[in-house]
Amino acid sequence: MNLTGVDNLLWALSFIGHWILLAVLVLRRRAGFFPVFTALISFNIVRTIMLFFTLRLGSRESYFYVYWTLAIVDVGFQLAIAYELASKVFRPVGSWVPDVRRSFLVIAVASVAVAGGMTWLAAPPATTLQTAIVIRGDFFASALMSEVFVAMVALSVTLGLPWRTHVARLAQGLGVFSIYGIFTGAAHSYLAADPVVQSFRLLSRARIVLYLGCIAYWSVTLARKEPEPRKMPEQLRDELRRLQGRAALILKSLRTLGSAS
Amino acid sequence: MREIVFLVAAGIFVTALLGVAAYFLLRARRISRNAWSAMLGRLKQIDRDKFTTVALDLLEEEGVLQEHLDPEMIFEMIGGMKGLDALEANCDVLVDLATYVQQWYPEALLLAEGLRLNAREIKWHIGRLRGAAKTGHMQEQFPMYAQRAVATYYLMTRSLLVLYEGVRLPELAELRHAI
Repeated sequence: MNLTGVDNLLWALSFIGHWILLAVLVLRRRAGFFPVFTALISFNIVRTIMLFFTLRLGSRESYFYVYWTLAIVDVGFQLAIAYELASKVFRPVGSWVPDVRRSFLVIAVASVAVAGGMTWLAAPPATTLQTAIVIRGDFFASALMSEVFVAMVALSVTLGLPWRTHVARLAQGLGVFSIYGIFTGAAHSYLAADPVVQSFRLLSRARIVLYLGCIAYWSVTLARKEPEPRKMPEQLRDELRRLQGRAALILKSLRTLGSAS
Repeated sequence: MREIVFLVAAGIFVTALLGVAAYFLLRARRISRNAWSAMLGRLKQIDRDKFTTVALDLLEEEGVLQEHLDPEMIFEMIGGMKGLDALEANCDVLVDLATYVQQWYPEALLLAEGLRLNAREIKWHIGRLRGAAKTGHMQEQFPMYAQRAVATYYLMTRSLLVLYEGVRLPELAELRHAI
């Protein structure tokens, strides 16, 4: 695979961008709050180095296997990040909001089914099995992640759960990148997915540019402070518990009435 | 042919995703902008003083009432099924009013969830009363069920007022007036 100057530039920018983002995560002490996201960024740095040397020193086949193996790890990380962000949104006081865990599981299963169905429909005009797998795998991951992020937004708005600033910014970036991934995946399935084809290169470059935008967006927003959630006084919490306890007693007597009649 | 089917399906899929995302993001923005006035506007008219009297009759708060209300009076004071219909609708508003506080105090989630469960149970019992009305047994069951529903609703409103007062929200005065 021959890389042009533009490809090398994008690769270098992506590498530098990841280092900057990692530095922000560590220096601004965000890594502890987003351990999976931090691990993904570190993984991307390692991936860039591995692919760089495999491309220059290895064969076309070895590049494919390294690329694909790392891509599977990447999808695993993305799913783990979706869970990490969901746990921040749907577990604001340490425990999951009732019914949400089940809803989230149902959504995840439905998302896998829909993404799987769409991927099955795709008929990439790939010349090799390897290319077909890459195109389908890429499309599947993008479709799945887009569905999960849209479902998270829908569920949180329905429940009235606010998103903390940093969580929202990470999800926005990942969501936009995933939805664009569906476009490129669909286009790759329709057009030829060969790096020598101009359209393939353009779409892939546009995707990398978008990802660079996401890295810059995350670096800036994570470097900034977010408003700290306020704490309710202990006395207020006690008073609310007392009132809820009384309401529970009344409702219990209602249930007794209901079972007696 | 398969490529065309795939492209159409992918187009529908992306449009649906963007549509759902846009709908909920706009809804969230609308809620945060007009939340307060819109929520209060959804409250149905009830006779608060009479509801409070009925609730306190059950809750037996000291020094408020010496004698218990008789069943006919409870029916009249609540306004029959119409009063309970209004109470049922207002329960949802109370949940939203608690949810509103979550944007500053995530811990308000616990109260919002508690109110959501209360509301669900109240609605279930009101549903039973509607069923009893169809079989002609409502008159005898109404006072017991309705008074407990009203008492729970009263405690829900008290919880909300305590929450708003405790976190010193500027909307407290308006809330006191509305519920």
